[in-house]
Amino acid sequence: MSDVPILLEMRGITKEFPGVKALSDVNLVVRTGEIHAICGENGAGKSTLMKVLSGVYPYGSYQGEIRYQGAETRFSDIRASEQAGIVIIHQELALIPNMSITENIFLGNEPRRRGAIDWKGANRMALDLMARVGLQEDPDTLVKDIGVGKQQLVEIAKAFAKDVKLLILDEPTAALNEADSQHLLDLLRGFRSRGITSIMISHKLNEIEAIADQITILRDGRTVETLDVKADGVDEDRIVRGMVGRELSSRFPDHTPNIGEVFFEVRDWNVRHPISAERQVCKNESFVVRRGEIVGFAGLMGAGRTELAMSVFGRSYGVYESGTIIKDGKEIVLKSVADAIAHGLAYVSEDRKAIGLNLLDDIKASTVAAKLSKISRHGVLDEVAEYKAAEGYRRELRTKAPTVDESVSKLSGGNQQKVVLAKWMFTDPDLLILDEPTRGIDVGAKYEIYAIIQRLADQGKGVVVISSELPELIGLCDRIYTVFEGAITGEIARKDADPETLMKQMTSTKRMQTA
Amino acid sequence: MSRYKDLQKNLFGGTTSNARQFGMIFTLVAIVVLFQILTDGLTLRSDNLIALFQQNSYILILAIGMLMVIVAGHIDLSVGSVAAFTGILVAKAMFEWSLPWPLAILFGLAIGAAIGAWQGFWVAYIGVPAFIVTLAGMLLFRGGNQFIGNANTIPVPEGFRVIGSGFLPEVGPNTGYNNLTLLLGLAACVAVVWREFQARKTRHAMDADPAPMWISVLRMAVMVGVIVFVTLRFASGRVGTSFPVSGIILVALMLAYSFYTRNTAGGRHIYAVGGNSRAAELSGVKLKRVNFFVMMNMSTLAALAGMIFVARSAASGPQDGNGWELDAIAAVFIGGAAVSGGIGTISGSIVGGLVMAVLNNGLQLLGVGTDRVQIIKGLVLLLAVALDVYNKSQGRFSIIGSLTRNFRRDPPGSSPSPAASTADREPATTAPS
Amino acid sequence: MRNFLAKTVAVGAIAALALTGCGSGRDGDSGSGSGDSAKGFPADSLIGVALPAKTSENWVLAGDLFTNGLKEAGFKSDVQYAGASTTVADQQAQITAMVTKGAKVIVIGATDAAQLSTQVAAAHQAGAKVIAYDRLITNTPDLDYYVAFDNFKVGQLQAQALLEGMKAKKPNGPYNIELFSGSPDDNNAGVFFNGAMDVLKPEIDKGNVVVASKQTEVKQTAIQGWKAEGAQARMDQLLTSTYGNKELDGVLSPNDTLARAIITSIKGAGKPVPVVTGQDSEVESVKSIMAGEQYMTINKDTRNLVKETIAMVQALQKGETPQVNDKESYNNGSKVVETYLLPPVAVTKANAAEAYANDPKLAPLTK
Repeated sequence: MSDVPILLEMRGITKEFPGVKALSDVNLVVRTGEIHAICGENGAGKSTLMKVLSGVYPYGSYQGEIRYQGAETRFSDIRASEQAGIVIIHQELALIPNMSITENIFLGNEPRRRGAIDWKGANRMALDLMARVGLQEDPDTLVKDIGVGKQQLVEIAKAFAKDVKLLILDEPTAALNEADSQHLLDLLRGFRSRGITSIMISHKLNEIEAIADQITILRDGRTVETLDVKADGVDEDRIVRGMVGRELSSRFPDHTPNIGEVFFEVRDWNVRHPISAERQVCKNESFVVRRGEIVGFAGLMGAGRTELAMSVFGRSYGVYESGTIIKDGKEIVLKSVADAIAHGLAYVSEDRKAIGLNLLDDIKASTVAAKLSKISRHGVLDEVAEYKAAEGYRRELRTKAPTVDESVSKLSGGNQQKVVLAKWMFTDPDLLILDEPTRGIDVGAKYEIYAIIQRLADQGKGVVVISSELPELIGLCDRIYTVFEGAITGEIARKDADPETLMKQMTSTKRMQTA
Repeated sequence: MSRYKDLQKNLFGGTTSNARQFGMIFTLVAIVVLFQILTDGLTLRSDNLIALFQQNSYILILAIGMLMVIVAGHIDLSVGSVAAFTGILVAKAMFEWSLPWPLAILFGLAIGAAIGAWQGFWVAYIGVPAFIVTLAGMLLFRGGNQFIGNANTIPVPEGFRVIGSGFLPEVGPNTGYNNLTLLLGLAACVAVVWREFQARKTRHAMDADPAPMWISVLRMAVMVGVIVFVTLRFASGRVGTSFPVSGIILVALMLAYSFYTRNTAGGRHIYAVGGNSRAAELSGVKLKRVNFFVMMNMSTLAALAGMIFVARSAASGPQDGNGWELDAIAAVFIGGAAVSGGIGTISGSIVGGLVMAVLNNGLQLLGVGTDRVQIIKGLVLLLAVALDVYNKSQGRFSIIGSLTRNFRRDPPGSSPSPAASTADREPATTAPS
Repeated sequence: MRNFLAKTVAVGAIAALALTGCGSGRDGDSGSGSGDSAKGFPADSLIGVALPAKTSENWVLAGDLFTNGLKEAGFKSDVQYAGASTTVADQQAQITAMVTKGAKVIVIGATDAAQLSTQVAAAHQAGAKVIAYDRLITNTPDLDYYVAFDNFKVGQLQAQALLEGMKAKKPNGPYNIELFSGSPDDNNAGVFFNGAMDVLKPEIDKGNVVVASKQTEVKQTAIQGWKAEGAQARMDQLLTSTYGNKELDGVLSPNDTLARAIITSIKGAGKPVPVVTGQDSEVESVKSIMAGEQYMTINKDTRNLVKETIAMVQALQKGETPQVNDKESYNNGSKVVETYLLPPVAVTKANAAEAYANDPKLAPLTK
């Protein structure tokens, strides 16, 4: 293999954000004409690495060296990297829905004749590019009128319009169905045979195993290893071991669960996508939660965990189709968030900043926001009660802030998360659903959050934890459901849970039950 | 420095105040002093103060409603037209159907509420942006005004004029002042002192150190001083004049709405919706209801403003309400509200409106023509908001933030947290929306 | 706490005392001015002039003439125009400011004749005299004088000229004409129209003159705000709806701005320019008359009107009774206002040189 020329070499890449080292001495070697997969858990640094490569983080904002086509390169922005033939295709496609395929392919790169855009020529070239990616459509079709799989192809055609030498695909099949995914993988094989180099970031290990020549595994911002698929005889288990292989011992507080009866149950839950109604995001899902139990939901990105949680939480996502919720033996109907709160449900969203908090508020107002009735009489707020509630939680959760008058936007991620937890604890819930409760939080704060979660369980509440970090689920949860493509594919008791087992369940539809 | 900060924080009511509002109050004082000097004492003379309030009460009432609309993240361009439409209907009702004026006022408020319900329906339940709904409303109700009034000017009866140009009656012994105005002033002083003690008590209950005593004393002295001064000014005008009725309506609304926005769950919900509507929704706030309410409330206040103007002008005319929306919006933004919603106070908007009003009045007293007055007002609006934006961007601006904005969903302007940047970007974007 | 209370009260009291000291106390009800006009007022007093928005040349000219004329007469002047969009509110505020500044006489060219009664009352109570300039202010007993051209006469002259002009082009009727009137919130607009109809009505009844569109009500003919684009739009519509295959012989237009807009519309439609009336002797219209397009205008020499108004102010200053020539015709809804009427002059191409001989701006155009 070493006789094939090296196309790209990233050496000793270190990228720091204030307070956090996102990448630390990462090395990556990509040879001409191969498909190189990059694997790692969420937060391992895959995307950051690609942003360094493509110039999103310009030269100077990182340490280390990038050698491309044999020479050191210093990209100042994305444009510079594109000119060098490096094109990233993001998971969320950068297409303009109301423009035609041709217009999208040549956006920002329009072929001109005497100053005016040469649409005839553009259409001809577009047809040629579309043929290369196997897309059979009228080039005048609007992008919004074709499916996601075809949109992906338009994006790739767009890359070819720029004379691509190194194609980077970030989770290219995450939003695609089986057939479209297969088509895309075939396409990548075709590129390989024509000498085009690809880097692919993916969580779908079966795909990686099937298609990649080389696999570089990142963990916690470092290169763990680079595997040669054929020479090393790599399989999914091997990749998983590389991705999750870290010690789990001291990262979680000791906890002896005190699990009671089942008090919350969701049965045959079916929900459709809010916009494309043909997409079913929850397929006949059923699960139970016991008092005092911490239940985990494991799944890949886009598996439908958040969608399940939010649709249960007062139908705040998607279009409800069918399914029942039973709490304390009685069926309840939650048509709005207010209903859900009134019935003792709480949902801590995965994206604190976008949908969890009003960043303009101070800690006080944030803490009481979900249950103002508790601190008001006839609609008039009691300032003192508000203060006391907020201050109580600040002390209990050890939120680091000078006073509860501090704006939440000034808090660190961990402390913001504590405020969100306080906000939902204040509603006196029986069931807390925590969506990625430790995302973007440093290790010390994670430990504290875990302790809070355990304390809540010990108070007899049911806790549901959705997380992409398998070690977190294994360390924290008494029972774990795995979710794949909108369906629950497994239920695993803590004693049987290990990353390999979970990862398998999260990537296949075969149902396995050990609990 | 800390004393200065204490002072700033305590004088203007704790956390809801911000540097901008503080700055605007000083700007207001500075402008008043400046014109007081330039006009040789005309600015603070009784008759001018009375005129100032009468001329601007309707704009300030609009600013109250507009503040709530803007805080909720909307805008209302139709207020001038709604005011004119209500004005002509009310005038006609009294002129042609001889509706007694107190009933006519209720009739006008009902029209405002009905229009507001119409606009609120489109904004809240259909989801048409308020800008569009009220732009349509602006045309709709302006046309309605001309249609109903045939572009004529219709006079209103004497009794009705009280709400626009009326004064408190002269009662009691001859003190050389308007006695009722004195009583109002006294009540205001008592209220200020009472509120200060209440605030100290609250702070105490919050286990927080109440503001140092000297600050409380200073604050009360300043407030009482201002109230006494203003009261005497208003009470010592020409016999038959006093603090104007429209001013009393304004003050009552200001107090009521300040209380509502600051101290009630309903008010809190408006800020929550404007600050982050998705987060508010996920906290159980009924978005549609809040949006409906702010739009309906705005039109009702616009109707009231229209009636006050008609009462002051003694007639409803086809030019009524022209450009009012812009004055009200300007007042709100000068008063510290954020264009993106979620930030702003009633008192700030009133101060913002007064800055514009005093500027207008002072320049007119100096004999500056409307052309130049408009230029100056335009510049003041731009500078006030630009200064605020500049201050906000200081210390917040970040190259990384601006570069990675395309890839994340953080609200623009918020500093990128290290966590969000290091995490692979996909999780942050799966939130269904 | 007690100490604190004591301090508070002390500070409050001191503040109150201090401020009371500087308070001016009450003016008392003696009414510094009303009823005292016999005594006049100092010769260098402030005279306020509040004019509508600068929508026509005449208001700009009037403003300049007032500024200069009052200065020459030894007064201090404050001449203000209403803003372009917030006209009424602006004018209200300006008048109030003039009262505050202690103006002795306030001359008002009203933007909306019916919406100033509160301000006029305030002026009256402060002892200022109020003169309505060109437009009568309605529904107020506090208006003192009115100075204007005889606007009924203006309408009559327009109508007579219209008939003469059409006759000159085409000796025999029936003539097709269209009617335009001014802004409905301007008291004068109705007067012009009535004056014109006073002459036209008998001819219409005889069938000699035909309003082909049948739009003869003030409501139908009015142009809101005297806006040129309004007149142009209405004329466009009339041409499309009524004059597809008919000849338009004449248009009654209440002023020059509208007249030119009407001519623009007709020319735009490719029709021959009919006899169009006007008023105000605006420069562009005088050029148009000399070029043979617009048929006539009215010369209401703003100089004379301003001169007459200043004469009134001077009489008031000396404590004399200003000269008026009509004490009956102008009832503003609350009282009959003493009025000085100036005669208007009809101007066509034939007498333009003579009519504008004294006008430095217009005279050269007529040569």
